[in-house]
Amino acid sequence: MDEKDIRQEIFEIDTLNILDCSKLKFEREESGYMTLEFEGQTYHKVNLTRLKPFYSKTTFISVSYENSEGEFKEIGVIRDMAELPKDEYEKVDSFLEFKYYMPEITKIFSIKDNRRGYIFIDLETTSGRKTVCIRDWYSNFRMLTEHYLYVSDADGNKYFCSDVEKLDKKSQSIMEMYV
Amino acid sequence: MNLKVSLPKGHNESEFVFYLPFDLNKSARRTEGHLCVTENEIFVFIDGELSDKYSIDDFEEFACEQLVGCSMMVGRNEDGSGQKCLCAFTQDKFIKFAELCKILEHYKRTGIFVKETDNHEPRCPKCGMPLESGTECPFCVNKLAVMWKLIKRTAPYKWYFIGAVLCTVAAEIVGVIWPYVNKILVDNYVTPKTLGAGNGFFIICSVMVGLTAFGGLLDYLNMKCSFKVALSVGRDLRQDVFEKSQSLSMSSISKRTAGELIKRVSNDANKLQSFITDNGKDAVVKVFSLIIVAVITFMMNWKLALIAVVPVPFVALIVKRLFNIMAIRYGVVWRMGFRHSTLLHDILNGIKVVKSYGNEKREIERYTEASSNVAKASTRAETVWYLTWPLSDFIMTIGSFFVLYFGANSVLNAEMTLGTLMQFTSYVWMLYVPIRWLIQIPRILADASVSATKVFEILEEKSDVRDIENPVDLDIKGNIEFDDVYFGYKVYNPVLKGISCKINQGEMIGIVGPSGVGKSTMINLVLRLYDCTQGRILIDGVDIRNISQKSLRSQIGVVLQETFLFEGSVLDNITYAKPNATFEEIIEAAKIANAHEFITKLPDGYNTRVGNKGYSLSGGERQRIAIARAILHNPKIIILDEATASLDTQTEKHIQEALARLTKGRTTIAIAHRLSTLSNADRLLVLDRGKLAEFGTHDELMRNKGVYYKLVMAQRQTTRMKKVANAELAAT
Repeated sequence: MDEKDIRQEIFEIDTLNILDCSKLKFEREESGYMTLEFEGQTYHKVNLTRLKPFYSKTTFISVSYENSEGEFKEIGVIRDMAELPKDEYEKVDSFLEFKYYMPEITKIFSIKDNRRGYIFIDLETTSGRKTVCIRDWYSNFRMLTEHYLYVSDADGNKYFCSDVEKLDKKSQSIMEMYV
Repeated sequence: MNLKVSLPKGHNESEFVFYLPFDLNKSARRTEGHLCVTENEIFVFIDGELSDKYSIDDFEEFACEQLVGCSMMVGRNEDGSGQKCLCAFTQDKFIKFAELCKILEHYKRTGIFVKETDNHEPRCPKCGMPLESGTECPFCVNKLAVMWKLIKRTAPYKWYFIGAVLCTVAAEIVGVIWPYVNKILVDNYVTPKTLGAGNGFFIICSVMVGLTAFGGLLDYLNMKCSFKVALSVGRDLRQDVFEKSQSLSMSSISKRTAGELIKRVSNDANKLQSFITDNGKDAVVKVFSLIIVAVITFMMNWKLALIAVVPVPFVALIVKRLFNIMAIRYGVVWRMGFRHSTLLHDILNGIKVVKSYGNEKREIERYTEASSNVAKASTRAETVWYLTWPLSDFIMTIGSFFVLYFGANSVLNAEMTLGTLMQFTSYVWMLYVPIRWLIQIPRILADASVSATKVFEILEEKSDVRDIENPVDLDIKGNIEFDDVYFGYKVYNPVLKGISCKINQGEMIGIVGPSGVGKSTMINLVLRLYDCTQGRILIDGVDIRNISQKSLRSQIGVVLQETFLFEGSVLDNITYAKPNATFEEIIEAAKIANAHEFITKLPDGYNTRVGNKGYSLSGGERQRIAIARAILHNPKIIILDEATASLDTQTEKHIQEALARLTKGRTTIAIAHRLSTLSNADRLLVLDRGKLAEFGTHDELMRNKGVYYKLVMAQRQTTRMKKVANAELAAT
């Protein structure tokens, strides 16, 4: 590798590469990940990551893969998924919704506190009604912003409510004591 | 673990060995799927229809990949290519699928298909909720059973406990006699206005003085006995929790933060101690007192007694509701307090960063907000408490006013003497004391049982790294053998896979590989901080699980990247490894470690205080103290984990010299990121993705042009890149 190449590599590591969305062509592959065709190159087992998963689901999406040495290689970052063509948007969105599978809370029926740091919440989500056990609820049942509720249960399943103000009054009064 | 959970419609149990349901498709939509396994094949059903069918031999390995919100089971081929997602599921199903992958992996390696799995499933068998560290279910645990364990701990001090109970009972009896004596005084001497007439008055007065003095004496004896029991039980608990925390395995220890362990050793044990002092004997006495006083009042006048206790059930209801509100309000106070102390800890720990970025004002604002949040939450909680508690107390005692009204009428109608009324009202007030206590007891019990559960959880935890019944005290020579070792911090996620190699006595071995590949894990296994999941590690041909942990660790010396110095002098820190070392031995060790020179220059020589509050030593100096400690230990095996990683080149040279003296003739395992540091190593062990990729001398591995060669080339390239970047910087 000559000095020019070395400088090029330093440049690649140091610079945020915002991807030109019109040049991206994704395909969902059998591995569960994506294949990407970009600027004449094909990347397999491409992983997409929401860089701000709690605050924005469709902006700043990192596109990366692992090389044969198992090293993390970032192809670049999609600044806003809205810039993608419609069918590409759907493929990317479908993968991200899968990777970040997180049912939205639509109603809270009750919260039982066993006074040992655990709470048991009976709630309605976009995936149906269920009772979830939350360990260490001070950390796992909390408001990330004024309106965004984040819940992570003892199994590692995650739930959210993008705007608690939109929940019915009863749900709001039940959860008020815990957030 | 049950891996036969549910079948797709139209199929029966005899068709498959294992069958698990999954609930997601690849578009994150809920689906009703089943993954069924026979001894040769894997079938995937979606909505009862066969969707995919694979032969187990289609794949080299099986694994569960955990994504952010869900997980998937995948089949892979040797080189990682050709990965196929077999099914996806929510995280609650992860453990079962991971166990299935383990069985399939075992089959791939050994050809043996395990049909029953005896692995414990960390779920409560009663309610199905996940269990933390395989202990009691937080929801189903019997609160009284935990309290019973606490009561049993008072057994060694039972005579003091009985003494305290007897004193309290006697004091209660004195309390019951007092109103009676008072009644005699009022009826016989105050009402007839015959004060001072005859000896009777003086006898009554003497009895009253005597009762007061006797009551005082009983209180003194009672407190003495109670404190003896409570302080002794508290001390025993603290000591036991501390001893247990020292004997727990690293995997148990790392599940909890140091702060959490400290809280359990001190706060929770203290809380139980005060529970015993304040409430232990009270439980017996208050019930006894309630029965006696209730019997007396009902015998004296059952109608008035009934009037006195009528409001009690209503108050009990109000208090129950109040406690729920209070628990939540105080919960908020606790949470705000927790945030406040975390923030304070954070800011003060990072004060250098705060100052260097000039962010003091911003941090003051953040702290002020957190602090005022605590004040606000406390005010809200206390306001509710102080508004409602006096009110409920008033309602409870309202019966006594009716007693006074009806009783006074009886006195005026000459149906009752004034003395009897005074005696009766005294008993009514005495009745309220145990009732008030009984109403609060659920809250007190709940509070104490939280601490009791936390303390007993540690005390009853079984260490997963234990000595066998008759362990060997081995005089180690230094031959180490890894025999098909598998290990993962989480059983389902192996860090080391099938490591087999032999290290000879006196040899220096360097472990190399990219970060996160399992280098430190290998030495943790040699130290037996963890037990390997599969396979075995032999030292001089003996499985380390058969060697006593004390004997094993007393013959292994460790020098880590970050040296921890205990609070105390340089001398204390060096002799930590051998408390009975002579001063000559200590100086010799310090000299070999290149430490004597800088210690001599310290203001108080070997007595210089180091540690958190002591003289601050540089990284290199701390490292040399650690080496001196290791030399004094005179170990047969030496472990160096990035021992020179954070040092500058000049200091590294000093340390390398010291290390060379330390490792001479001893089996040494060294990890270093900088490959040049391992130039003294006899052989190099190269790890790649948890597997042993290469094992040989530097020259052999360079000739092979494998993983090690690439690592060396990559490091050389980085060094060149740094040189170019530095040259460019210098040019600008």
